[in-house]
Amino acid sequence: MACKPTSSDSTFDPTDASWETIEEKAQGTTVNFMMWQGNPPLNDYINNFLVPTLKDRYGITMKITGGQGPEIVQLVMGEKQAGIENGQVDIVWINGETFFQLRKIDGLWGPFVKQLPNSQYINFDNPFINTDFQQPVNYMEAPWGMGQFALVYDSAKIPDPPRNLKELETYVKANPGTFTLSNDFSGMTLLKSFLAEIGGSPTSLDGDFDEAKYERLSAQLWDYLNRNKKYFWKEGSTFPKEHTKMSQMFATGELQLVYGFSEGGIEDKIEEGLYPKTARAYAWDNGTILNSNYLGIPYNSGNKAGAMVAINFLISPEAQYKKQIHNGREARTVLEINRLPAEWKEKFENAPKPSYSPDSEKLAKKAIQEPAPEYMIRLYEDFRTEVIEK
Amino acid sequence: MLIGVVPFASAFIYSLLYSFGVVGIVNDGFTTRFWESVLASGEFFRAFVYSAAIAAVSVLISVGLALWLALKFTQELNRKMLSFVIYLPLAIPGVVAAFFTFQLFSKAGFFSRLSYKLGWLQQARQFPDVVNDQFAIGIILTFITVVMPFFVLLFLNVYKNERVEDLSRLAYSLGAKPSQITWRVSLPVMLRKTWTLIALYFIFLLGAYEIPLILGQESPQMLSVLIIREIKQYDLEKISEGYVVAVIYTFIVSLAAILLFSKRRKATKVIVDE
Repeated sequence: MACKPTSSDSTFDPTDASWETIEEKAQGTTVNFMMWQGNPPLNDYINNFLVPTLKDRYGITMKITGGQGPEIVQLVMGEKQAGIENGQVDIVWINGETFFQLRKIDGLWGPFVKQLPNSQYINFDNPFINTDFQQPVNYMEAPWGMGQFALVYDSAKIPDPPRNLKELETYVKANPGTFTLSNDFSGMTLLKSFLAEIGGSPTSLDGDFDEAKYERLSAQLWDYLNRNKKYFWKEGSTFPKEHTKMSQMFATGELQLVYGFSEGGIEDKIEEGLYPKTARAYAWDNGTILNSNYLGIPYNSGNKAGAMVAINFLISPEAQYKKQIHNGREARTVLEINRLPAEWKEKFENAPKPSYSPDSEKLAKKAIQEPAPEYMIRLYEDFRTEVIEK
Repeated sequence: MLIGVVPFASAFIYSLLYSFGVVGIVNDGFTTRFWESVLASGEFFRAFVYSAAIAAVSVLISVGLALWLALKFTQELNRKMLSFVIYLPLAIPGVVAAFFTFQLFSKAGFFSRLSYKLGWLQQARQFPDVVNDQFAIGIILTFITVVMPFFVLLFLNVYKNERVEDLSRLAYSLGAKPSQITWRVSLPVMLRKTWTLIALYFIFLLGAYEIPLILGQESPQMLSVLIIREIKQYDLEKISEGYVVAVIYTFIVSLAAILLFSKRRKATKVIVDE
């Protein structure tokens, strides 16, 4: 037993168990957490705060494995195909796209979030929390972080960055080669903002996927991109595969207008010294996407009790506060400050403000919801066939 | 034999079933839909031709350079220092080699900055496009760096084992000119002994993954990059298309390998019979 703690209670189903029982069952187990490890400050937070604290307080050993989006889906699909009852992973860090895919293959276990004591501090009436890519979350995943997509520029080089498609057209013509779209999740998120602008309002893509609307709006978007791509990076003959590559090109000055999640993600990049101190982030006039990222439990997790205790800690005021102040990562907590005990409320209110990122409250005035996942899937496919291959 | 064939065959059968929608949790039974859509899109054939061209150019240049080095610098290459420099790339994994190329040759890379500092460029962006570029120069360059040392090593060994030096001397004493010795004695002997390996390297490069992943374009892509992209895509219903490409690719390569080896056996047989 001692050498295989995770399998000790793989048959235990916490669905109707009391929290005391769940905590008891979690004691001394190992929880495997699969997450994207591309953010050094966050890794530092996990390794130096989360892992030791879970061990101290709950006797839980947390093991981190790298993996995101498609890898998580591939893993769960593979295990499902192979009929593995006791899966490799107990917690996955996901957002709407992966949530949609995992739901499609019944890959998630739940609903479990209501059972977590700390869920009382979360406002499930907030549409940016209860709806993930237009899909009701239904307590199948617990919110962990929240961030708004923003564009990033160097204020020392561009005094007045473009804020809508028309201005962007003027900008690329004046500064050819300094803008591009990454052919990945981040790039598609920017395209969603563009699509919403063509749709005429921040809410134009809300609701279920609408094929006719998509066809009409995307045709205009491809036309716009094809018309202007000769002013993009490498004359639009190719596009970077990943957003991280763009960050490097922004740092070297090859690109001058980029973008990113988490309010543009400039805070930690400036502190790391990658971005110049004059880098700034801003929202598109018609809005940029604000979304949450979540923690889920795979259907075949061998340690659901341990996963629940760990997730409950991750959404505790203490862990969320630490995460917020840690190296300026992510300005936003998923907790509703007004629901917190006085002591924590005060702490959050007096938390150090980011030095470079835009004020998240102000930015959120130009926030739009994630459209239905089919928009993303179609944009991916069509961006390739309509723009890259043309 | 068994250790090699069983996993390979089972993976192939699995891919084959996946490509027809027989396995895979989002698939619901036999269909030729994925094959039709892959064959209709033409993307596979473009990727195939593109990969074959890149692999062929890389192998030709590598072999050419390696032959030249091996014949021209036979003595020098046996010295320690120089051989170390030449063989060093053999120890470098593909990913690292690709990053090297990227760091050195991208528009914001080492050479670009150097040229900018030296005043050759007005802007770092004017540096020629050799990474993620249209003609796959970055990929070819890296392939050559990785593959050429192996050929140098190979040719040096063949040179020694086949006693090309003695043969050359013999030809010289019989009145052959130096160019005749190279073209009619040394090269034919060395190529005859190594051509299967050269062909195998071509197949190896055809299926290379990391280097084109880092240095390639988004379209067309080399085969392995295309396959992985299809298999890992967001649209779960189209994952089978990746398996279709994998099946066609495996089929072509296996066929080529079988032809290659059966011919070789025949060729050796003829020589023995003579």
